[in-house]
Amino acid sequence: MNMIEMKDIRKEYPLGETVVHALRGIDLSVQEGGFISIIGPSGSGKTTLLNIIGCIDTPTEGSVKIGGEDITSLDDKKLTNIRLFKVGFIFQTFNLIPVLNLLENVEFPLLLMKEHKLSKTDIRERAEKAIEEVGLKDFLDHRPAELSGGQRQRVAIARALVTNPQIVLADEPTANLDSETGAAILELMKHLNETEKTTFIFSTHDPDVLKYASQVVKIRDGHIESTGKPGRSLKTGKTRSKAHVGKAGSTGKRRR
Amino acid sequence: MALIARIAWRNIQRHRGKSLVIGIILFLGALIMTIGNGVVSGMERGLRDGIINRFTGQIVVISGRQEQDNVIFTPLGKDVQVITGYEKIKHALETSGYVDKFIPVGKGLTLVLNENGDVGYSLVLGVNFEEYQKMFMNNVKLVEGAFLNKDDRGILITSGNRKRFYDELDFWFMPEGVKLNDKNLTDEALKYKDRLDVKNDIVLMGSSMENTTMDLRLKVKGIVKYEYLDDYWKNFNIIDIESFREAFQYVTASDAAVNIPSYQRKLLETDNLDSLFEDNVVTKAGAGNKKYEIAELIGKRAARKKPGIDSGAYNIIFVKLKKGGSIEKSLRKLNDAFKAAGAEARAVPWGNAVGQLADLAMIMRGATIGFVMLIFFVAVIIIMNTLSMAALERVSEIGMMRAVGAQKSFISGMFFAETAVISSVFGGAGIIAGGICISILNLLHITTDNNILELLFGGNVLRPTLGFFDIMIGVIELAVVTVIAAAYPLTVARRITPLDAVTRD
Repeated sequence: MNMIEMKDIRKEYPLGETVVHALRGIDLSVQEGGFISIIGPSGSGKTTLLNIIGCIDTPTEGSVKIGGEDITSLDDKKLTNIRLFKVGFIFQTFNLIPVLNLLENVEFPLLLMKEHKLSKTDIRERAEKAIEEVGLKDFLDHRPAELSGGQRQRVAIARALVTNPQIVLADEPTANLDSETGAAILELMKHLNETEKTTFIFSTHDPDVLKYASQVVKIRDGHIESTGKPGRSLKTGKTRSKAHVGKAGSTGKRRR
Repeated sequence: MALIARIAWRNIQRHRGKSLVIGIILFLGALIMTIGNGVVSGMERGLRDGIINRFTGQIVVISGRQEQDNVIFTPLGKDVQVITGYEKIKHALETSGYVDKFIPVGKGLTLVLNENGDVGYSLVLGVNFEEYQKMFMNNVKLVEGAFLNKDDRGILITSGNRKRFYDELDFWFMPEGVKLNDKNLTDEALKYKDRLDVKNDIVLMGSSMENTTMDLRLKVKGIVKYEYLDDYWKNFNIIDIESFREAFQYVTASDAAVNIPSYQRKLLETDNLDSLFEDNVVTKAGAGNKKYEIAELIGKRAARKKPGIDSGAYNIIFVKLKKGGSIEKSLRKLNDAFKAAGAEARAVPWGNAVGQLADLAMIMRGATIGFVMLIFFVAVIIIMNTLSMAALERVSEIGMMRAVGAQKSFISGMFFAETAVISSVFGGAGIIAGGICISILNLLHITTDNNILELLFGGNVLRPTLGFFDIMIGVIELAVVTVIAAAYPLTVARRITPLDAVTRD
């Protein structure tokens, strides 16, 4: 089953009197459980693509389906609900709530879901479990400012995963981390991908990161330039950006 | 909700500087607003109680033919219609069950004549003075001489009018047998004390509606001052009701029932003018028992009076209600009762009757409220600006919250909760501090002789009051300010998208 289906996605930004074409017709299908890396130079459109998948941005043209649901015509409220229930985000700059401690940050999206009959105990248990998975059980009361960069990113991962999203989007998750911490974070993401069957899509231009990906989509100037497995030469798209990328072959089951 | 409150509270602590700035503005705004409300409330209460208790009562009964309700401070002393059928009105008032006391009075403008040929004017209230004093808490205070006793004929001139008469007519009124008191002389009068033209009586010229005039010489019995709002009431000299009626030719039945020679009587009784030339014209002498419709003889305005002080012609009846009586309900009932009794009278609220004085109070109140609102307007602008800046500084945080699934309503709630917490803590403290200031102002017992301040104080002592209603008004005003001040920043915060956060990073 395709978790994500994008057809002829174009994104244009007005910039003064000119128009910036961030995406110039992207076709992309991502299967459930994939661990996909989107690579490309700065300004190639990686972040724009991730933002559209994550319902943070909307395309100028084209259609996007997440879990079979067309999101291009949804209003803000519905898009927000998709972000809450179907998508997890890991930002380059962590973006934790500074006034909440580690546990409260991870609980935050669950508390937003509270109206969906999650009890206080459920929320606390799920948050603690997610924190345990990222190895920060001893830092529950710490505020973001009291954590290192790597620890903050792990909190962000726990927050992204605590809602059991179908997709986790990570925009250059290791860009602000040292190589050792970055590797640990990717190991963790890979582990969660394999054990929880969560679809991971992350952007990077760090070649070391690619080895973790099951599929690589290379973007240049708003086009998909090539797709393929890491370590092999990627297939090139000549006339139109089109890619179908599969899952990582995990055998794990999704948490529910 | 708990999450919103928790984040809001921690954000306030995190941004202590901004919170403190907003808090101090709200504190000062609430403080000034509370004191302002207290002063306005005290003023209103003071004016209301003062005017009701000492001048008008809650209800004023006037003639049904009177066009304007404003019968006290009429422009250029314009005449007030005469109330006819007083006995019916009196009966309605006495049997109402909700009227505590009432007093009928005459009110009019007379000319003041003197030998020099100069002409002045005087507003006069014709009253049964003892009853008047009882009704209005002995509001008239003696400066010189004596009050009017029962059956006395004479005038009580106010200090204010005495000064005015001196300025306009060059003579100084004093009760007979009273020595000049330097303390009571004006600077000008004191300067020419030796040449002062002192007069012990006054000649008033009243006129009927038919422009017939009557000169009346009255002894100056006393010089008086109104204890409360003298500056506004000092134009009214007080004369006994019989003198008033005489001056204004409200001719009474007792006046009409005079002994006339029989030939005059015959003249009046006869229908056949030829009979006047008979030889036996003078046949009888002595008082007749025929009553003459004097009103028909000298004009419609003249009213007939049967002997007795409580009946006869008046212009105004001041009515005090029993404690706790509703003015609106009583007005309705009284007017119904007058209608049912066929009395040509109408009851109006005191505020309408005093006209411009009540208007002045409204203006003072409006000015005070305007001042408070101006302060709040400035506060709103400053708070709005500070909060908008705060919203823009928190784009990453708010955008990230939206990115992980927070709806706009959550952001609104969080932002509003922050403002509301600051507003309740600091605004609440401002209201409490305002309450303390009100108590201190009361303890200080600040007095004034200035007539504008007297209005603002609602009397000659500043007595601001802060009741439950005033506090609730304060809380509501504070809430309105909070909502208005937070409205724009809130829309700024709601407009922040996850993309803004990502773009900023």
